[in-house]
Order: sequence, then C-alpha cells, then structure tokens
Amino acid sequence: METSRREFLKGVGVAGTGAVLGFPAVVSAQARKGVPSDPVKIGVMPIRAGVAAPVGAAGQRGVEWWAERVNKAGGILGRKVELVFEEESNPKDTLERFRKLALQTKVDVIVGGISTAVGLALGPAAEELKMLWLSWDATTQKGVEETMPKPTYSFRSVDNEVEAIGGALLTAKYLKGVKTIAGINNDYSYGHDCWETYQAVLKRYTPDAKSVLELFPKLGVTDFTSHIAAIQQAKPDLLMTSFWSGDTTILMKQAAAVGLFKTMKACFTTGGGVHDSLKKEFTPEGLILGYNSMYFNYAGASALQKQFVREYKAKYGEYPPYECDHGYFTVESYKAGVEKAYKAAGEWPSKEQVAKALEGIEVESLSGKRSWREDHVQMCSFFQGITTHKNEFDFVTIDPVEVLPTTRIMKPTTSTKLLEWINSTFPLKG
Amino acid sequence: MTANLINILLGGVFHAAILFLVAAGLQVVFGVQRIFNLACGSFYALGAYVGASAVNAFTGAGGPPALFIVPLALAGLLVGVVGVVVERGLLAFVYDRDETFQLLLTFALVLMLEDIVRLTWGTAPYSTSALYLAYGQVNLLGATVPVYNLIVIGASLAIALGIGWLLTRTVFGRIIRAAADNREMAEALGVDMRRVYAKVFTLGTALGTLGGALVIPATAAMSEMGIELIVEAFAVVVIGGLGSMRGAFVGALVVGVFRAVAIAVYPELEMLMIYLVVIAVLVLRPRGLFGRVAV
Repeated sequence: METSRREFLKGVGVAGTGAVLGFPAVVSAQARKGVPSDPVKIGVMPIRAGVAAPVGAAGQRGVEWWAERVNKAGGILGRKVELVFEEESNPKDTLERFRKLALQTKVDVIVGGISTAVGLALGPAAEELKMLWLSWDATTQKGVEETMPKPTYSFRSVDNEVEAIGGALLTAKYLKGVKTIAGINNDYSYGHDCWETYQAVLKRYTPDAKSVLELFPKLGVTDFTSHIAAIQQAKPDLLMTSFWSGDTTILMKQAAAVGLFKTMKACFTTGGGVHDSLKKEFTPEGLILGYNSMYFNYAGASALQKQFVREYKAKYGEYPPYECDHGYFTVESYKAGVEKAYKAAGEWPSKEQVAKALEGIEVESLSGKRSWREDHVQMCSFFQGITTHKNEFDFVTIDPVEVLPTTRIMKPTTSTKLLEWINSTFPLKG
Repeated sequence: MTANLINILLGGVFHAAILFLVAAGLQVVFGVQRIFNLACGSFYALGAYVGASAVNAFTGAGGPPALFIVPLALAGLLVGVVGVVVERGLLAFVYDRDETFQLLLTFALVLMLEDIVRLTWGTAPYSTSALYLAYGQVNLLGATVPVYNLIVIGASLAIALGIGWLLTRTVFGRIIRAAADNREMAEALGVDMRRVYAKVFTLGTALGTLGGALVIPATAAMSEMGIELIVEAFAVVVIGGLGSMRGAFVGALVVGVFRAVAIAVYPELEMLMIYLVVIAVLVLRPRGLFGRVAV
C-alpha cells in the first residue's frame, strides 16, 4: 500500500512542491527576526520492508499528519516543514542514508529508527556528524546496558524492557497464583531481554515463580505448531511473549486451534502493535495485552488523540498502532525545542541549542504528555490491560486499561543497573 | 504422554507437508531443467497471498465458510500459471548460458516477486482471519488436533502419490524422466523440449503456489515468508538428494519432525538440529539419501 520506492519518491516530490507552493507564507514569515526563509528540512527514516514495515508505516503516518497540521498553521516559526524520506533497513545501509541526509541533503534534524541494531549505529554517527537525531523506537542499548549514557545530539526511545516490566506488574496484579511460566520470544536482543526482565520482576511478587520452558524462534517464523506442542508438554500456568509483529497473530491463531489458552493464562506484552489482526474468533478474553505507548480506544484519551484516531481510520481504514505517536512526538518535540531555543537566542537556533532546549522538554503528544528526560531518553506512558470482547470491533480490546508511566516502569537513569533497580524497586504496592 | 507425542509429531508432519510441496517444486525443475530455482520460495509466498485473497473474496461474497478450501486450492493451482510466463518469458533465454546466470535470474525473480507482493498487498501481515478454525478439532488419543492440519497433511500426501503416479505411470512422466536422464537423446527421439520445459516449470511453480495457499489459513502471509522457507527447502533437498522426488518426501519429513522434536526436547537446537542432519548427510552420503547426481 505505502511502500513502493516510486510512491515514496513521489511523496518526497509532493513535499517539495508543497514547499514551493508555500512560498507566500514563507515570505510573510520573514518578518520574524533571524529566521531563514527556506523550509525546515526534516529527515524521516521509516522501515519499509520486512516484518517491521507496518511499524515504519505507522511512524511515518504520525509524522505526516503532524507536518500537514503544522504547515497549515504556518510552520515552525514561520518556516514551512519539508519531509525528506530515507529508508531504514540494515545498520550499514541505514547509516549511509543517515550520512547522506546529514551531509548532502543537509537536513535540520533526523527522526526515525525502530531497530536497536540500527540505533546503535546511528547514535555514534549523530554525535560524530553533530546531527540531531530523535529516535522513534530504537535505543542505543546493548542488551540492557546503555552504550551512550550522556550523548549530545542523540535522543533515544524508551528502554526496550519497559513493556516486559509492565506485563509482569499486571501478571502479579491480575493473574494471581501463576507459579510456572513459559516464554516464547524472538531470538534477538529484544526477545531475550524482555524474557529475562519479565521473570525478574515477576519474582519480586511471586518469589517461587519458575520458568519451565524458554522458546526463541527467530523473527519471521510463520509456523508455531511445534512450539505450541512443546508448550502443551511443559504445561505452564502462563505463557509470556514479547512478539510484536505478524507472529503474534499466527501464534494466537495456532494456539486457539488446539485450545491452548483454555487451560493456560498468557501475557502478550507487546502484541497490541498488531491489535486489529487479533480477531475475537481466536483471541480469548482474559489475557494480558500491551499496546505499547498509545491505545487507540482509550476512554481517557485527549481530544488530539481522538481526532487523530478518527482521521487515521478515515484515511487508512484501520486503527492506529502506537508507533504513530513515537513519530508524532519526535517532530512535535523538535518544534517545541526550536521555539524554546529561539526565545533564548533571538534567532533560529543551532543544533546544539535545540539539543539543549530538548532536555527535559514536555509536549502534548497524541497519547498525552511526553517528554525527553535530561539524559535524552523518551518518557511517556504505556497502556496494558486485560483482553475483552465487549466492544464494537471484530478484534479484541482491553478493559480495564492500566496506564503505566515510564517514571514507574523504567529505570530512572541510563546508568542505573537494570537488575539492581528491579530488585530494589519492586514489589510496588497497588 | 501419548497426547504430547502426538502433538509434537503432528506439528512436525504438518510443517513437513508444506515443506514437501515447495521442495518437490524445486526438485522437479532441477531434475529436468537443471535449474536451481531460488524463486520457489517466492512462488510459495505468492500462492499464500493469492489464496488468502481468493478466500476473503469468497467469504466476502457470502460463500459458506466450510467450503473455503475450494477457492483456496483453486487459486493456489491457478496462480501456478505464472510458471509459464516466467519460463517462456525469462528462463527460455538462459538455458544455454552458464548456471550462474540461471541462478542469478531466479534470484532476481525473488526480489521482484517480493516487491510485487508488497505493492499489491501492502506490508502488514495478511490473513484469512479465523477460517482456520472452521473445521474444528478432533481428539486423537487425548491430543487436540485442528482438522485443517490433517487436511493439509492429507492433501500433501495425495499430491506426493499423484506425482509418483504421474512420473511412473503416464506418458508425460516417461518423457520427463527421459528428458531428465538424457536431454539430447530425448530431443533426437522427437520430444519437443520447449513444451516439456514449460510444462515442468509450471508444475514446479504450481506445487509451490499450492503449498503457500494451503498453509495460509493456519498462519498469516508476510512478504518475506518465502525467504524463510527456501532455507529449509534447501536443507530438505540436500538431505533427500538433489532432483529426487522421493528425496523431497523423506527430506521434508526428516526436517519437519527433527525440528519439532528439537523444539520439544531442547529448544536451543531448533535450527541447529536441521543443519546437524544436513552435515551428517553430506559427510556420510554426499549425494543425499536418494540422490543420483553429485551435489
């Protein structure tokens, strides 16, 4: 739908044309002292192929929705916004495109990055090129350890293990009596770290909880019949998974086919990323399901989120997943950072000034308030809950909805040791 | 205990059933045309997408869910027609060239087909919703088994028998075997090799697309699903022996069941197990269990 290279070049063309058409507005905005008249160029790097392509598309849609609104309202300090797209793929190629955006296209800021493997390449490059980089989903963690405790130009996503921590909290709260657990997670850092973290937090509540089976199929596997047979054999009280792509749907369907969750509870920490494919026919009620950092159907959502969900549904025929808000927040916070730094400097701020201004800044994002912590880590809230069929859709939603702020479920600084923090912070009351 | 054993074995056999169809497509093409068709995984993905579309259109038009297997199998077979187009339009030009060209061309097909899939169906996983459960489950000695899995296993077995019959009991089969044995001689005896090649390649393609279509209700289509499978299909071919149908059958069973047992007994070995078998076969029987050609 949204992925052809040609279409995407066309998109860039349109963005360019938009900037030209927007010329009169730019002229009128020249009145603002010290602000250049040409458009602000924002480099956007969504994943376009492979299992994470839908995630990339969602992030891009969030950014595009933002750009349209900002341009309608006159741009950033009167400068129109122009989006320049380059694809995120493997770390090496993405790094080259990142350099191209920085050195050749000379963009003002680059947003994007979903894979942490890519983030580990982009972080140091951003510092070296002195290029502002605001990540969507990528961190610069190696395992659970931070590789860049105090960067200047890089702004990273929420820690990778946050959802697993939230899932464990909800397990302890809602699924009492769980003693034996099995995990099925993708065979790469995120999968392994989520599983380890989930167990560590759960043990703070249920010290005698123990793992009876660990499965690590690689990302992209489309048949879990054999894995499910192994789970049936191990008979755990609960199955935990951090699957986030199409494999969530496949696992759920193949589990339903053998009635797995009739006798077993489950915690899908991240499955809400593909929420509208989790049809009621094969997704039972009573499972823990995490929607990451935006839940499209949240009753307490802001007017902004409600408008976004409505327009997204009208345009794309589906309900937005969380990545939209990672995208939206990065560009909205950039705008706020520029405006804040402009007030202080009296002219269009340098990248260093914007970076400084971003530290600790808080903006109204789609899912509510979001901010950049002083050490350049994104702060937001996570939405997890118990699956229910009581809704107007043909897929499951959650009720009750637990809103878990990162101030509660993420270690407080980049230099904090994760396990030490878990063992000293949990169990939380309530 | 028995229930667990049945679950594990049937899980493995189900996986093997799909693998067999793709590997059989690979084998029949290699056996006759000496082309190692890397695109067989892409045909599998294409079959999955087209099959899912056909089924969704069928149920969307009010077709009874219980009959979904009819449009599914038909679509899977019909999309095999791409084989003629690919063979006449592309492969026909490289038969006289070095094998490297042929390999490169089929690899180019992999990339092109993946993009075509993305352009047509988008990047999000595409599925037939809950039709997988339409046939319900049966209880086999305490194990709950989805009936659809049994249908797929049965269909794959029937196709294996059908191919066996085709190759050994029909004129076309004799021609195929003759062409595989000695192309020049077959041509000298009046066999029109162009037609044989087109037919064989279409047969190979249709096996792959049918495999993709059959698996789709149980899973969800993703544009890169072909790449995932081709790796395992390679293992099947190496174990069974390049160019051998019997090899594809036994190889698929070995890969499917060994993988299932590994997952149940020692999950860390999930992928490694298959490669260990491949290595063992390469060391002990370099031509594969049923291979006649040196690999």
